[in-house]
Amino acid sequence: MLGSTSEMFRIPRLLQHLNTGHNAQSFGMSVRINNVFLILFFVTTGLWAQKPVGNPVQSPFADQPYQKPQDCLPCHQRQYDELRSSVKSGYRAVSPLMNGLEVAGNFLNGGLLRPQYSDSTEVLPDGVVLNKNMFTASPLTETRQVQAGFCFTCHNAQVEKLGENPATREVPSPPGLQNLFRPDLLRPLRDYALVDAGGNQVLPATVGGPAPPDARPSLGAAGITCDVCHNIGGADLNRSFKHDGFANMSLLLNHTIEKVGPFAFPIAVKNDFHVASNDPSKIGLLKSSAFCNTCHDVRVPVAAPGDLQNLEYNLNPGGTGVTYFRLENLSTEWQVGGYNGTANPFGKVTTCQDCHMSQFPFGGNSSYQVGDLHITSPTPGVYARNYAAVPGVSTDQNYPLPKRDVVSHYFTGVDVPLMATNELQGRLGPDYPDPNQQGVDEYGIPLSLGARRQALLDAATRINLAKTDSQASLGGTLAVRAEAVSLTGHRFPAGFSQERTAYIQMSVTDDNGFVLYQSGYVVDKPHPDTGETAPDGNSDDEDLEHVHAVVNGGKYAAPYATGAASNGSLNDVFETGPDDGPDSRVYAGVNEGLVLFRNELTKVFLPGTPIGRNDAGGNPIVPAKPHYEETFNAAVATTVDNFRSLQPLVPRTFVYEITLPSQAELQEMGVTLQGPLHVHAQINYEHFPPVFTRYLAKTTGPDGPAGHDMQLLNEATIDTYLKNLTGISSDDFTVALEQAK
Amino acid sequence: MMLRALSLCACWLFMWAALLPGQTNPQDPSYVPGVTFQTTNPNYPVRNPFYFEGRIDWNLLQITNPSNAWEYAQRGIHEQDDLLDNTSAITDYQRSISMNNLSNGTCQIITTATGLGAATNPPPCMFTVRLRLGNLLIETDPAAAIDLFKEVLNIDPLRLGVNGMIGEAYTKIAEEASAFTGRSAAYNNAIGAYQAELDLSPVTPATIALTSDLANNAHVHWALAEIYRATGQSAGEGRELTLYLQATQWHSDTYAWRIQLANARLKTLQSQVRGVRR
Repeated sequence: MLGSTSEMFRIPRLLQHLNTGHNAQSFGMSVRINNVFLILFFVTTGLWAQKPVGNPVQSPFADQPYQKPQDCLPCHQRQYDELRSSVKSGYRAVSPLMNGLEVAGNFLNGGLLRPQYSDSTEVLPDGVVLNKNMFTASPLTETRQVQAGFCFTCHNAQVEKLGENPATREVPSPPGLQNLFRPDLLRPLRDYALVDAGGNQVLPATVGGPAPPDARPSLGAAGITCDVCHNIGGADLNRSFKHDGFANMSLLLNHTIEKVGPFAFPIAVKNDFHVASNDPSKIGLLKSSAFCNTCHDVRVPVAAPGDLQNLEYNLNPGGTGVTYFRLENLSTEWQVGGYNGTANPFGKVTTCQDCHMSQFPFGGNSSYQVGDLHITSPTPGVYARNYAAVPGVSTDQNYPLPKRDVVSHYFTGVDVPLMATNELQGRLGPDYPDPNQQGVDEYGIPLSLGARRQALLDAATRINLAKTDSQASLGGTLAVRAEAVSLTGHRFPAGFSQERTAYIQMSVTDDNGFVLYQSGYVVDKPHPDTGETAPDGNSDDEDLEHVHAVVNGGKYAAPYATGAASNGSLNDVFETGPDDGPDSRVYAGVNEGLVLFRNELTKVFLPGTPIGRNDAGGNPIVPAKPHYEETFNAAVATTVDNFRSLQPLVPRTFVYEITLPSQAELQEMGVTLQGPLHVHAQINYEHFPPVFTRYLAKTTGPDGPAGHDMQLLNEATIDTYLKNLTGISSDDFTVALEQAK
Repeated sequence: MMLRALSLCACWLFMWAALLPGQTNPQDPSYVPGVTFQTTNPNYPVRNPFYFEGRIDWNLLQITNPSNAWEYAQRGIHEQDDLLDNTSAITDYQRSISMNNLSNGTCQIITTATGLGAATNPPPCMFTVRLRLGNLLIETDPAAAIDLFKEVLNIDPLRLGVNGMIGEAYTKIAEEASAFTGRSAAYNNAIGAYQAELDLSPVTPATIALTSDLANNAHVHWALAEIYRATGQSAGEGRELTLYLQATQWHSDTYAWRIQLANARLKTLQSQVRGVRR
């Protein structure tokens, strides 16, 4: 390829934009350059890849402000359209869940999750000056630095970076922190993501209120944009706790014209809008899972002594005081799993991009063996051939673009918006795509995010009942054996896996449909704590029956004080349910009840710490010894169990030892069983459990710590948008019934 | 043409020479995207002060031979859950408990919130291994199971389900007792244990307002009803069946047919009461 016409065009543009102080034009760039020069160029680009970038300047190219995605649209229409429908790019910025969770954390710790900037003079009550945030502090030596902008940094790092300049700051620091914090004045982050026609920030008239008329999305409203990924300097080891480029947005971001793409020999860009990077280390990073790893582990700082079951702390200089637990552990799961190597059905490293930026799961199927399971499932790593930019408008001197393997920018995952399309469009612009729109794209992939997510989930697991007892008798025990496997690159569920709720719904019935056993079922019931006083006919807003939990949403209190006492998050009700599989199976080794793949946030209440509810006499329960209990807010968790989810490519058999009714019991009921028995098992998925959404609805609602409604979630929105996807995989088995003699 | 090319080359090299000095590389040279990774096993937790309670996939721990109480417990879990080898699991659980034991000073009951950390020594006593061993022994040696469950309650008196397991173990003792007095005492102990379980989740006006549940712990009420039925205490049976039905009103049951059976039995009990009154 050396000396090809395309390279000759590209080099002059590179030179023009290097921050060298030289005038590139003085080299006579309008002429064609000979091969000697080209060879030298490529020799020196090797040096460039290894050495020339500095800190904080990580690119030798000219500065360019952080670009809104619309600026990339003329040349990259397809990528823009695809990215627009991904939840990380727009929806997440206005998501009632993300906003509600961020608000809930601030209620508990007195605003510490909001970003702080270099001009902050904030001195916390303990004397700590807080003028850095999770992005600007390097290395992170204070827990408060990690907390500052904890959610915002990952979801909007570029905008947080811009916030160092008060003139371009979208999200302000709260006027007071900790016990000086004013929960009544706190706005959800999405309030700040609106501008008027002149580009000036406009706020809803009331805290959390609807977007003002004619408001349009701010730069930050776009969330993860083109520039976040394509204007990078590399992994930021100094800000990753294990100095490995994992977690918490440990990425070096640039504001330059150097845009990193996937191609080693990019073609020069029209009108110098940007330079296509030829830096192999940056290109290599962008194309690898390591790039995704910088954000898709999330490690939550927790006060000393840290995670009470797993001591981990920042390994960077001065960082040992920053202890944490692992919330999102997806990247680590991939890194140590079968897809990061050749020991997988496809015999090659299968990256994040191979499933989330390819034609997957619409690129054809493969059949293979996993353990004793024969699997047919979509093939990862199938890429479309297409133009990387719009032909005729995007290249210098209209140089003809070749068709190459290109990636999709749908980034389909397991989430869909919990908002109406018109509300999304009110905040993100009238062209924001309907998550349920009809039609397919040029490759036949559904335009609907909901449809793509369904297909992705359908490809995630398999379940098999073949090892179930083939015969059963009345009054005896029937062992149902459900073998489940995750085919995902990480565990399943992953990401926010402590709330992502995947589980086995299983039933045993006789030939007449009489139910002998059920697990993973739900019951329509009232929810008086959020105003649903009677069953509403909707089962998608019901929790599973392994535990009955109601989480305290907190209440307004003046003066404000940090902690759970008035800010909620502890369990008002926490009782064992009839389908108590998770605890029985994990802790007691008993083969009964719900198989739940959801991981678990746990609070270990140390001696003397009230658990937040009262005994029968109305007295607060204060444990004298450590007490473990599931919690639904990471901000109060002190440890986590991330091993309940299904390990990728390692089938696991779950046994249900089921006692069948005796003949005498059947006679008491007046029931005659008709054989054979039918066992049905299916894996279901819901993106958030209702108990969690109800907690957020309460804590951000009118009776929560703010003292007014932040208009994020309520029972009606839960009823409307929370959907349980049933049967993403399933199997059936027939059991002969031995009749009583 | 050649001169022009040489000139370009010289300028190019000059340009790079100007760029190189004074610039530091923010990227660790040893870092290879997608290859370099943390050196310690991220799946092996470092106790702080508590050992990880629960189950970690055995293959992820990369343990060749267990070397401490927690590793024996994890191997036991692997044997029990994955290999269905309860005999080996029992052996490993027993070994684990021998190495994490109050009686020989290899574990402690934590009673304070201060000074806890990775260096806390001896380590806190573990509950998972005791619960698992207890449940494996409940059929063959319910008395030993009860002792283990009581150890768990000593570790965490508020832990849900443990009193229920004690009740279940006493019920087994009662069912196998040959003498009336032994059976009666065991049933009474079971009733006491089940009541202790219910006491951990009291139904109060506050909980009813939040849940509409007039009762909870359906399986405990069912177990109590069965004890009263076995001992001929129909009033107790009727009371517990009623509470069972209240507890299942909004939660059903894994054994949903028990709801039908409870209704049938209540009907029978009521007819018996009417018959006595006549």
